[in-house]
Amino acid sequence: MGKKISAAAQQKAAEELAEAISSIDGVSAELDSRSSGTQVRHTVSATSTPDSWRELAETLAEYHGVDYCSMITGIHWPEANDKTWEVIYHLMRTGVTDPAAIEGVVQPNITDADALIGANVPMEIQISISLPDTREPMVASVQDIWVGADWNEKETWDLVGIDFEGHEGMRRVLNPHETPVGYHPLQKQHKLRYHGFEEMYDDAQGFMRKPADAGKIK
Amino acid sequence: MGPQHPMTHGLWTLKIKVDGETVVDTEPDLGYIHRGVEKICEARDFTQITTYCDRLCYASANTWSHSYIYAAEDLLGVEVPERAEYIRLIAVELQRIASHLMWLGAYGPDIGNLSIMVWCLREREMMMDLLQELGGSRMHYNFPRIGGVKRDLPHGFSQRAQAKLKLFLNRIQEYEALFDESTVFLVRSQGVGYAKPEEMINHGVSGPNVRAAGVDYDVRWAHPYSVYSELDWQPSVERSSIKGADCYDRYRVRVEEMRMSASMVLQALDKIPGGSETYHEPGDPKIIAKAPSRAPEGTYGSHHFEDSRGESMFYLAGGGEGRGKMPYRVSIRSPMFITIPYAAKCMIGYKVADIPAIMGSFDPCIGETDR
Repeated sequence: MGKKISAAAQQKAAEELAEAISSIDGVSAELDSRSSGTQVRHTVSATSTPDSWRELAETLAEYHGVDYCSMITGIHWPEANDKTWEVIYHLMRTGVTDPAAIEGVVQPNITDADALIGANVPMEIQISISLPDTREPMVASVQDIWVGADWNEKETWDLVGIDFEGHEGMRRVLNPHETPVGYHPLQKQHKLRYHGFEEMYDDAQGFMRKPADAGKIK
Repeated sequence: MGPQHPMTHGLWTLKIKVDGETVVDTEPDLGYIHRGVEKICEARDFTQITTYCDRLCYASANTWSHSYIYAAEDLLGVEVPERAEYIRLIAVELQRIASHLMWLGAYGPDIGNLSIMVWCLREREMMMDLLQELGGSRMHYNFPRIGGVKRDLPHGFSQRAQAKLKLFLNRIQEYEALFDESTVFLVRSQGVGYAKPEEMINHGVSGPNVRAAGVDYDVRWAHPYSVYSELDWQPSVERSSIKGADCYDRYRVRVEEMRMSASMVLQALDKIPGGSETYHEPGDPKIIAKAPSRAPEGTYGSHHFEDSRGESMFYLAGGGEGRGKMPYRVSIRSPMFITIPYAAKCMIGYKVADIPAIMGSFDPCIGETDR
């Protein structure tokens, strides 16, 4: 039958990885079994403090074969008690290596999925970092570890307004370049729906749009 | 180059620094059609979002809505009936063929082979007819539902699908003849745009672009979902050169993927529980499971998915408006958003005339890139 990573091997690898990274100060990780249609998939879910994030990232890349940064995203929680900003990283271990060549002829890498164990099992890792209430949320950049994080970090700053310390070449990617400083559309003070009024349907053309301080100042 | 240029396959700008005819540095400039889908989804309930996900990419609508549905099912904790999973697999793989055909049809004119476009669109039409039978519309199907699918396979679908796929498998040979024996195509695609697998993974590139370089990494087996493990298949892998995959390898791997997808659909029609000829009314528990409509605050759902262009992903946080009737945050991982900067780096060192060949071979789609 078709190629597939067995759930048991994946679970064991996830437990091992979670235990290994939990030893870092400020990091707690656990096995997270999530549903997927008819199946269960085993992942690692971790939380980290902003200070230990850089150490965690370096450990993952260096000792645990995490070679792929899938997604970085941010959430603005103005009404939550314990956090105002949250950064979420989705990393993956793919185990991809350059195929070897025999006498100049490249031999494709065909993995035997049943033989993969321990640190070779493909794995998904979710890391959540809560940031305190601040006007300038910031977390360390991992652009130099995974180049794939580069544009993810740009997007997170552009849309959510979370900055990345040490990121080179930060700029607007999805919003226009001339967007005002401090405007990040996915922050929650910008609303699509308010007081029974729905911008998308009730005023699609924007004719009735008024500035937020209309009627308050002269 | 851009925003209006045939090379872009959409609307974006590639800034190029040249030394004579040689490309020295590049920088992509995206965001021309940013529609704010993520923000719009925060004000829609979970069932309404599927429609927006269809519109992320017109060439591959079904894979995007399925990508969202799997994440929403993870968030809401729904177990899907097996028959529905088979129907989804059929829909996704047919869409993958249609998407690759659209790519092949667009890539031919990029490098001077205009007749291939008409041929590919002719076969794509067959796939779209099949998808129309399932979803009811031609491009944006809105086919999957949280917990299952909208409709069962219609009467006679499997015969028509088998006939069309067999015809299609024959016609792939015609494309290969047209491409592989065309000197213009070979000269322009071979030996340009080399990309090595480890570097691509580090840059966040995945999917067919990585498999073109001789690596069999595929989300469909590495992070198993759906019923792919029930079928007999292997990821299509291309034997590249020692310098990595060039544009020609990326073309070859997509042709092989179309073959593999066609074989998957044929197998799934054989193996579908209950048989492909039985029909269940919409809403039957055999094709759709009941799903809760609210997700409380603090819950999240995510799912990696093998899109036609690489690994796509949705991240959903529960607990939005209406006591969790809407998501608090929807985040979309677009494979092309990450791949375009890499493809732009790939061009450095080649001639200006190679740019359309290299860019086109990565299969850019701007709808999903800009969201």
